[in-house]
Amino acid sequence: MVPRSDIPRGEPCAPTRSNILLVEDELLIRMMIGDKLRDEGFDVIEAVNADEALAILKSPVRVDLLISDVRMPGSIDGLGLLATTRADLPNLPVIITSGHLEPRLALADGATRFVAKPFSLEAIVEAVRAELGTNG
Amino acid sequence: MSSGAAQPDSSSVLIVDGDIVSRHVIADYLRHCGYAVVEAANVDEAYVALGEPSLSIDVILCDVSALGSQSGFALASWVRSNRPELEVKLAGGAAMAAETAAELCESGPHLERPYEPEAVVDYINRLRASRLA
Repeated sequence: MVPRSDIPRGEPCAPTRSNILLVEDELLIRMMIGDKLRDEGFDVIEAVNADEALAILKSPVRVDLLISDVRMPGSIDGLGLLATTRADLPNLPVIITSGHLEPRLALADGATRFVAKPFSLEAIVEAVRAELGTNG
Repeated sequence: MSSGAAQPDSSSVLIVDGDIVSRHVIADYLRHCGYAVVEAANVDEAYVALGEPSLSIDVILCDVSALGSQSGFALASWVRSNRPELEVKLAGGAAMAAETAAELCESGPHLERPYEPEAVVDYINRLRASRLA
């Protein structure tokens, strides 16, 4: 693996703002959240499932925050992604979103924050800012 | 400007690519030169985007290997029959997609390339190589 420090600033897509990995299988929801976060000054990588998210997490792309839905098609769901992330990247903030899961279950599994669905775009921005302590 | 929703004086590109590395890097490239971008991971998601009335899409940039219940070629055929006003650009691989994106940038909202397409391809290839290492 190429060390993340080997990617120089100014490289295509080398992040200069906080970089958020967004995992959501519903295209329109993913697009709305991604566009809102970009408008708020964050860089966003859109993943359709946990497998795509893991491909990014195993790459040299810097990820400052992971946001993931729970119920998704693919080899693992959002909680599986959370478990893998906790094992490999224990300090990465993870926001879990769900309309079905008990918040305490996500937090017990290592999520740093839980946002219940349905949520407003402002609520997810607020959660991101709280996790990153930044405006972008 | 990043919203895929209809905006005055903006053009929108729907990217259909099953490789998140390629899709994300090309999408960011197009956003940097002023396009609104919708990212679809497969052809089925592309149909969802095309069926959403709130989305204004002008160009579809589709990798021919994009998977789903149909192929990229089938998507292009459907668009020609049902949405002939849309421009469809089929790309076979990251290099062709990057060159197509660069051409879109030269005729797009800001009329300029944010950086050379060769740099985009090189970056995609390095990310893929490190992923496989």
